[in-house]
Amino acid sequence: MKITIENTEAKFIIRLADTSVILGQRLAEMCSRGPFLEEDIALSNISLDLFGRAEELYKIVAKLDRNKFTPDDYVYKRNEREYYNLKLVEQPNDDFAYVIVRQFMHDVYVKEVFTQLLKSSNAELAGLAEKVLKEIRYSYLHCKDWMNRLGLGTEESNRRMQSAVDHLMKYVEEIFNFDDLDKKYLTDCEKLKTVWNNEIETTLNESNLKRNLVAPLTMRDYRDGFHSEHMGHLLSIMQYLPRAYPDAKW
Amino acid sequence: MVEEKTYNHLWEILSEVPDPEIPVINLVELGVVRKIEEDPDEDKITVTITPTYTGCPAKKLFDDLIREKLLEHGYKNVEIISQLHPVWSTDWLSDETKNKLMAEGISPPTIGDKIITCPHCKSTDTKMVSHFGSTPCQSLYTCNQCLEPFNYFKCY
Repeated sequence: MKITIENTEAKFIIRLADTSVILGQRLAEMCSRGPFLEEDIALSNISLDLFGRAEELYKIVAKLDRNKFTPDDYVYKRNEREYYNLKLVEQPNDDFAYVIVRQFMHDVYVKEVFTQLLKSSNAELAGLAEKVLKEIRYSYLHCKDWMNRLGLGTEESNRRMQSAVDHLMKYVEEIFNFDDLDKKYLTDCEKLKTVWNNEIETTLNESNLKRNLVAPLTMRDYRDGFHSEHMGHLLSIMQYLPRAYPDAKW
Repeated sequence: MVEEKTYNHLWEILSEVPDPEIPVINLVELGVVRKIEEDPDEDKITVTITPTYTGCPAKKLFDDLIREKLLEHGYKNVEIISQLHPVWSTDWLSDETKNKLMAEGISPPTIGDKIITCPHCKSTDTKMVSHFGSTPCQSLYTCNQCLEPFNYFKCY
């Protein structure tokens, strides 16, 4: 089955849905592997929020495209190049520092995105934005706390956080290469970029971390379905069961 | 006034459905059930519900529990509509419901998560252990007075 998305607004919303589901999957990988019990529970809870958010977004996408496909179709039946998530969120859980920095960069981004979508002319999207902003707040505060604690912690924790920041910053540039869809559905793209840069820099500064200049990656844009090498591996695990047993039911 | 009586009757029936994760409160008290409509001509009940959290694992279970309870009372034709707006809020919990939570050992939500009371000794000298607890809607706290750990129902 070839999954196609025709509606223009659906093409924009599916980027948010994909970003949410892929990050949810990454965090789900941390379940039972957290550094201690409370953190394990926290990461699993944030993962649940991301899956729930993705499901609601896919429902809006499906409705805009006259219900040709279900949320499950979008998640389980698309290939790598048919996914439109930020490359940032598909990066692996190499170190707890990576998990936290990736989540924080994502949270600061979606916090502003959904704030802008509160004004969306699509009432369902605006309603969902109001709901998810409440949920993002907890994840955001949790990660900001870790940014401070680990950045200001030991020499070792600071070194590992800085290494995560330097690595993940390579995937940030594409986020702000806005296209016509972004400009049409977000109220202020430039503000999104400014808010993100300011907030990241403030948090890095107060955490004794730096935003080093990183050479931009010569990778093509996520908006055209391009990914890093990690995406295929992630999908092969996430989609294994429904692809191997297409009629499986819970 | 037959119609109103039926209406109240349906709300009473759904008040018997406990929240799957916090069974001391029911789905009506929790504010999940927003609207109940009855179409006597078609013998059909339409229930409008709102999810507490987008990722709540009990979301699907709400539907099943509502259907099951209405079926017990002979209502076979039930439609459940899930709507996100108005957005569910802990502000909808009544004082009575909050007292029930407190009695169950779950500290009820307070505005801005500011003053958190220990459900065991009622001290407000408490500290957060983790933003995230045993369910997505709860945080983990500990009391500085009686040293007991407890769950706090997050303010949304």
